[in-house]
Amino acid sequence: MARVKTVCVDAGSEFCPCYLAELNECITCSHLQGKGFCDCGNIGICIYQEYIWCGSKKKATRGVFPAKILEKHPLSKKAVLLKLKVSKKLARQLNEPGAFVFLREKHMPHYFDAPMSIMNSSEEGGVILIAIQIRGIKTKTLKNVGNEVLLKGPYWNGILGKAFLKQVAGENCLVVAKGISQAPAVLVVNKLIKNNNNVEIILDKGNLGKIFVDGYLDRERCSIVSLDLMSSSGREYLEQKLSDRNLRLVFSAGPDKLHLEILEKLAVLNPEVLLAVTNNTPMVCGEGVCGSCSVVLENGLQIRACKTQVDVRKAMERRVLRD
Amino acid sequence: MIRVVIIGGGWAGCAAAVAAKKAGAKVILIERTDMLLGLGNVGGIMRNNGRYTAAEECIALGAKELFAITDKASRHVNIDFPGHKHASLYDVTKVEPMVRILLKEMGIEMHFISRAIDVEMDGRTIKGIYLQNEELLEGDIFIETTGSTGPMGNCLKYGNGCSMCILRCPSFGPRISISQKTGVADILGQRGDGSYGAFSGSCKLNKDSLSEEIRDALNSKGVVVLPVPKEDINSDKLSLKVCQQYALKEYAENIVLLDTGHAKLMTPFYPLEKLRKIKGLEFARYEDPYAGGIGNSIRYLSTSPRDNGMKVKGVENLLCAGEKSGLFVGHTEAITTGSLAGHNAVRLALGLHLLELPRNLAVGDLIAFANERIQQKDGLKERFTFAGSTYFKRMNEKGLYILDKDKIAKKVRRIDLYGIFNEKII
Ligand SMILES: Cc1cc2nc3c(=O)[nH]c(=O)nc-3n(C[C@H](O)[C@H](O)[C@H](O)COP(=O)(O)OP(=O)(O)OC[C@H]3O[C@@H](n4cnc5c(N)ncnc54)[C@H](O)[C@@H]3O)c2cc1C
Ligand SMILES: Cc1cc2nc3c(=O)[nH]c(=O)nc-3n(C[C@H](O)[C@H](O)[C@H](O)COP(=O)(O)OP(=O)(O)OC[C@H]3O[C@@H](n4cnc5c(N)ncnc54)[C@H](O)[C@@H]3O)c2cc1C
Ligand code: FES
Repeated sequence: MARVKTVCVDAGSEFCPCYLAELNECITCSHLQGKGFCDCGNIGICIYQEYIWCGSKKKATRGVFPAKILEKHPLSKKAVLLKLKVSKKLARQLNEPGAFVFLREKHMPHYFDAPMSIMNSSEEGGVILIAIQIRGIKTKTLKNVGNEVLLKGPYWNGILGKAFLKQVAGENCLVVAKGISQAPAVLVVNKLIKNNNNVEIILDKGNLGKIFVDGYLDRERCSIVSLDLMSSSGREYLEQKLSDRNLRLVFSAGPDKLHLEILEKLAVLNPEVLLAVTNNTPMVCGEGVCGSCSVVLENGLQIRACKTQVDVRKAMERRVLRD
Repeated sequence: MIRVVIIGGGWAGCAAAVAAKKAGAKVILIERTDMLLGLGNVGGIMRNNGRYTAAEECIALGAKELFAITDKASRHVNIDFPGHKHASLYDVTKVEPMVRILLKEMGIEMHFISRAIDVEMDGRTIKGIYLQNEELLEGDIFIETTGSTGPMGNCLKYGNGCSMCILRCPSFGPRISISQKTGVADILGQRGDGSYGAFSGSCKLNKDSLSEEIRDALNSKGVVVLPVPKEDINSDKLSLKVCQQYALKEYAENIVLLDTGHAKLMTPFYPLEKLRKIKGLEFARYEDPYAGGIGNSIRYLSTSPRDNGMKVKGVENLLCAGEKSGLFVGHTEAITTGSLAGHNAVRLALGLHLLELPRNLAVGDLIAFANERIQQKDGLKERFTFAGSTYFKRMNEKGLYILDKDKIAKKVRRIDLYGIFNEKII
């Protein structure tokens, strides 16, 4: 059986330990899974120690805040860009690849919460940007929000393979972003640039029909190509880029089908390349409780994808594809 | 060439590396911290009571290199302290680099800050071990010498929390039980009251923080005994200790300090305020564990079931040694078991019978005796060392406690095992 390394994205944060620790279901700590010995594989913190210091109780959970809508721009008929005012602290916490929040129209009940990635965050002003594609029940209610939305956060597991994004420095990286998923690519690109990587970005407007992030990318320090990944020339271009021997990391932002295609190509062309992808698993609570994000891996291990960092290849094995 | 992979670079792992190398293997040693010797960096007492006999038996068997180092690094030789005779105290600030140089010169491949986290199995055989960086390290034979101390969650659940000992878990990541990862359950040692694990039995004080008088006495004589104020005597604490050889009344009524480079304080932990009430210790501070005023590391939560050739039961190609292989206390005990496991790794790879040390040697008897006792319920509450308690008593009774080097060498020759650990098998 191949080993699967799972790490809770919240481990060591101000929200750890959580309900799962109280219920002996902690994702990381074996003592807090009811086992009598240490087996966490983690470095630097001890969740059990923190739990005991907290009087064997969880820490405070994330709150729901009203967030003022500063600006609202239609991106297309079915997509809108929101600029929201939040606290400086929250803006700082959200200024990291993979950060997201749950948004809902302020008169709707909590089960209208929809996970939305942070496209950009400015700590000084306490301002965040979010791009929303209107798809169905929940997002329809967000289309016509007034001057305020309800926001729950911060959450961090919007990307699988986050550790790779942190660790690469001075390398060649490729970012592929399609449709509404251009949004979560912005924080990733900025992080990669900050670590002195050479970044090439392929943008595909997808069914959204629009490239909307180029204004938020530092054009001086990265190169941007727009193309249609479904066209034969687009595929060829991607393939050529993926086979580059000097490539170290790929970030795929888009539907699972895109991830899978890149994953399969890399397996043949360039298996050593590190891969990070947007986490498209449907989520409701974000706290590892409701179970809507459950994914069963090939070895039978069931994980809560809203909180668990797991190898991208393992996560994709058994998953129903999301677009 | 036979690849022997050793997990854990404490005294047991180092001894296994030396023996496996001499027997002809390619040896790879993995250590999670940046130093060899593990708990050996905070101990220092050698050759006290029956450990003298055991050291000389090992030397006669051919495992001489590490004892040569501990002898050479000794600040004091042939000293007595309550309950203990003819001890040597090696300098903990000198010994690790000496061992590192030896292993390097012998051509043993060492990897530091390299933590084993899981195994890849092929049936009941280990194919390789996964390191923290996800790399798979393959080998023919594996020896687990990860000790039994910590990590943080265990020190908290069974002790007073992490007291920041030499193993430095927050920085280098937790100890992992490799045998448990193969599906073989660990045996857990107990205390007198039946609770699991036990506190390490001593701490180190910074010698410069002690009065000049005490410092001078330590430097010249090696031992200082100071009476504990009446109101602070606490005999209950003795039952907390792993080191039953020091669980004597003298250790409750006195502070016993030994000079091992730092001042070794023979008690699991001692509140700083109370310690500073004692004359000469008014400015005392801890050197290991850093929070020696509140607690110490918890040990003996991770013993593998094994045979007397040190092979782990239920896995085809895994051996064990040191605290991993029994409820053993001590550097000498780790070197003894480690040497045997290292030698037997090569025998196992070649399909030969594993060497078992005969029971008319203290080293063979300890290995077999500890194995018998661990299978009995009350045996889980015992600790095994040549230096005291149950086993030293047994050594005396069986006539195994011998202090004449020549007599020991002759005995080993008579049973035809003289220099066996020097033999190149491949
Ligand atoms: C971590 C994370 C970050 C996200 N970031 C953004 C973002 O920045 N902008 C954005 O517009 N959307 C984002 N999404 C997707 C968004 O949350 C969903 O589109 C939304 O919840 C759909 O709700 P609905 O009720 O409107 O649609 P539904 O009525 O639930 O479904 C309509 C269609 O959308 C699909 N769908 C439903 N949920 C998801 C989902 N979670 N992911 C993909 N497809 C889904 C369904 O399969 C169906 O085809 C993100 C999702 C996650 C998990
Ligand atoms: C404070 C103190 C004082 C002591 N004083 C004395 C004394 O004076 N005299 C004496 O004889 N005995 C003394 N002892 C006992 C003695 O030190 C131990 O019994 C003996 O050294 C144990 O050796 P070991 O090799 O089995 O284990 P350890 O010394 O615990 O070595 C295990 C090694 O394995 C490493 N490791 C663990 N997990 C992994 C992993 N997953 N991957 C890679 N590496 C790993 C650890 O970092 C460590 O270096 C003392 C013990 C303590 C705690
Ligand atoms: S979204 Fe509720 S458990 Fe993951």
